[in-house]
Amino acid sequence: MFQKISIIAFLVTLACIVLHRIFVPSNKRLPGNSTSDRLSIIGMLRILVYLAVLFCFLVLAITGFYPTLILGKHITGYLVMVHATFAPVFAVCLAVLAVMWARRWCFTSGDWPLFERIVRWATLANNPVANTYGKSSCLGQKISFWLIIFLALPLILSIVLSMFPLFGTHWQELLLSMHRYTALVFAMVAILHTYFIIRT
Amino acid sequence: MLKRLEERIDCTLRKGLILTGFACLLVLCLSALIVCFENQAAGAETPGKLLGDESDGSRAHPTHLIPLVAENEDGGQGGKINPDDDPLLPFSLRWTCGGCHSYGLISKGWHFSAIDPNISPGRPGQPWILSDARTGTQIPLSYRQWPGTFKPEQLGLSSREFIKLFGRHTPGGGAGELETEVPDEIMREYVSGKLEINCLSCHNAEFAHNQGEFFLQIARGNFRWASAATCEFASVSGSANDMPETYDPFIPEPPEDAKKVPPTIKYHESAFDHENKVYFNIVREVPDNRCYFCHSNLYLEAEDTEKWNTDEDVHLAAGLKCIDCHRNGIDHNIIRGYEGEESASTNHLAAALSCEGCHFGEKESSSPVAGRLGAPVPEHRGIPPVHFERMTCTACHSGPWPAKETILTKTSRAHRLGTIGVNKSHEALPHINSPVFAEHGGIGTNTIIRKRLFMGVGKIAPHKMVWPSYWGIIKDQDVTPIDFEIVKQTVGQVLANVSLPSSGDWPALSDEHIIEALKSLKGTVEGEPVYVSGGNVYSLDESGKLWKEEHNAAQPYLWPIAHNVRPAAQSLGIRYCTDCHATDAPFFFGDVAVDSPAVTGRGTKKMVEFQKVDPSYARAFAFSFVFRPMMKIVSLGSCAIIAVVLLLYALKALACVVKVLAGSV
Repeated sequence: MFQKISIIAFLVTLACIVLHRIFVPSNKRLPGNSTSDRLSIIGMLRILVYLAVLFCFLVLAITGFYPTLILGKHITGYLVMVHATFAPVFAVCLAVLAVMWARRWCFTSGDWPLFERIVRWATLANNPVANTYGKSSCLGQKISFWLIIFLALPLILSIVLSMFPLFGTHWQELLLSMHRYTALVFAMVAILHTYFIIRT
Repeated sequence: MLKRLEERIDCTLRKGLILTGFACLLVLCLSALIVCFENQAAGAETPGKLLGDESDGSRAHPTHLIPLVAENEDGGQGGKINPDDDPLLPFSLRWTCGGCHSYGLISKGWHFSAIDPNISPGRPGQPWILSDARTGTQIPLSYRQWPGTFKPEQLGLSSREFIKLFGRHTPGGGAGELETEVPDEIMREYVSGKLEINCLSCHNAEFAHNQGEFFLQIARGNFRWASAATCEFASVSGSANDMPETYDPFIPEPPEDAKKVPPTIKYHESAFDHENKVYFNIVREVPDNRCYFCHSNLYLEAEDTEKWNTDEDVHLAAGLKCIDCHRNGIDHNIIRGYEGEESASTNHLAAALSCEGCHFGEKESSSPVAGRLGAPVPEHRGIPPVHFERMTCTACHSGPWPAKETILTKTSRAHRLGTIGVNKSHEALPHINSPVFAEHGGIGTNTIIRKRLFMGVGKIAPHKMVWPSYWGIIKDQDVTPIDFEIVKQTVGQVLANVSLPSSGDWPALSDEHIIEALKSLKGTVEGEPVYVSGGNVYSLDESGKLWKEEHNAAQPYLWPIAHNVRPAAQSLGIRYCTDCHATDAPFFFGDVAVDSPAVTGRGTKKMVEFQKVDPSYARAFAFSFVFRPMMKIVSLGSCAIIAVVLLLYALKALACVVKVLAGSV
């Protein structure tokens, strides 16, 4: 079941990327990707963290999804060991990423004018809505970034908590399923996020 | 005239036909009435079933006050036994119990059906082990088709010889009732009789029942008398072995040698009532003590292995009885209780009365059945579900706690426990090692056969293990054992000067001893003689030099441990994962003794070699558990930071929304 869902999910993600590539012109640029950032140590560190997260994600995705998608069985053997070795590194990198990039990927009023208008309409606010179209930048990256950070919590906790003698077999299975499906959504979002970044 | 005559004949014939028809109808009605009355008289039993084959629903014990019946010269039903009979014959359980219970049906039950090739062998179980220190022999035997065991006839053992060796720890029947095909044994079989099913072995609840007598009588060749000798109201003296082949126990004549006593039975005077009936304290619920006679295990963990030092199975301690799980109907198709037994057994409760069946309930049951017999439903907190895919319940819960080395283990059947004159030494043969955590089906077993025999294939379970040691002939990489009588004569003679330890342990066989024995066998048997021992096959090359190589035929025979079940608080993993996942954990890295009389063949193997797991992976994985606590701390710490960041920016977002709502933007 999970194998089929995963394959479909990845195909849909790829299809979305292809469609986006075809129909949406590339005119965005990465915030903070300025010359000053590239020169400063902090800026370099930020990029390094991003790359580390990406590398860890690749390793975890391959070791996690390869047995499921290709072999049709659960992760086992040396793959588990590689997966478990990179997992804590990934968790640390994600935490650092969240701290270093959260401000950069903050939503601004220009990101979601429609939402702003809805809020004003719903609350019958008097002040006129400023036309913010065209001011938004990197909305896709921002959404995917915050989704990554948000999904990291159930992704990590579902597997770490199962290592404590807290949950019985039924909950263990539930936690494992939660880890699998969260990992799937996480992977889709991460692929999209990487695509958006590469695109800009 | 002729016409009239024809008409008369015709009329007479018609009348005759009508009369014949009426007569037939009358006979049919009468027969039906007789059958009907017979059934009524017998308590309206189901047709084809005897009185005791089917319960009327009462849970009370039926009283067995019944006449004793002997067998006749042809093995058929003899007369009822009167205490004044001369000669006084032993009662036959076939005919005494068989009056109300279908003996033929019972004889197909698990305890008696090993000889029937049509009955599924199921999961490999404990074999009979033929051991002889003098010839360096220790070989697992079974009539069942369990891979790794040998058929008795492969070693030249007739069914009668097999029973003489191992009948002591059987409830009779099976091989004990086979007609001998050996001409020399036919007359002897008439003198001894057959070893029929001894119902009392299991069902006699009388404390005075002495199963040890079964061993004594079999040793004396008193097969016909063996069952009666075990009961509380009869005693048997004399020996059929001492009688000539022409001796007739039904018309006995005093033996020529006055010192030799013919097999004789005496019944206690008080046993018979005024109608010459005898009371049997028969119970359907077999007492545990009866099971223990054949199914005791002695794990030689410490010097002091007295019973008071060790605990019983947790189920028995909780008040259950063996038969609460190991149930059967009149067909005696008893539940063995292993995972997947339902695929091999016709007992409809096979799935329900496994570990999982009681503690979790059957998956396919329409009503809730978990907690049967008060079984607690385990939570297994913190145990990753993969453990239940890779291990049996017994892996964590049964047998002795694994130590750095496997321990020698004695069983009733292998070491004749509970009979007189037992060698109580720890090293007494055969050498059984346990617990060996091995993949189900043992090693060296064909995967297809394993899949046929086990549902739980691929799971790791604790096992008992015996390394076969025997003399054989090798042909095209197949080793067949040499007739044991030839081995005794040839090898026994060659090794006659090798000193045998008083403990009953192996003699120390050097390479020279093996070379000499192989040379002597070469002159006696056809083909290339080899010695199989400790996982190796020893053979001579053309120059007479001894060669040793690992061989599939020398693989150990393993059978799963089911009992004793330890309480949950003593199960593997109860302390931490490192009970098993540590670089020195016995579960993976314990030493398994390689047992052999050949001094150069002795040694150890690591447990992981029996688990179809890459040893370096197992070690690396175990090593990773050193960092497990650190990994948990780091991951939880990272989660905390991420959560704080999320909370911070969620609050910021909320502040923005509040600003928008306040109209300050």
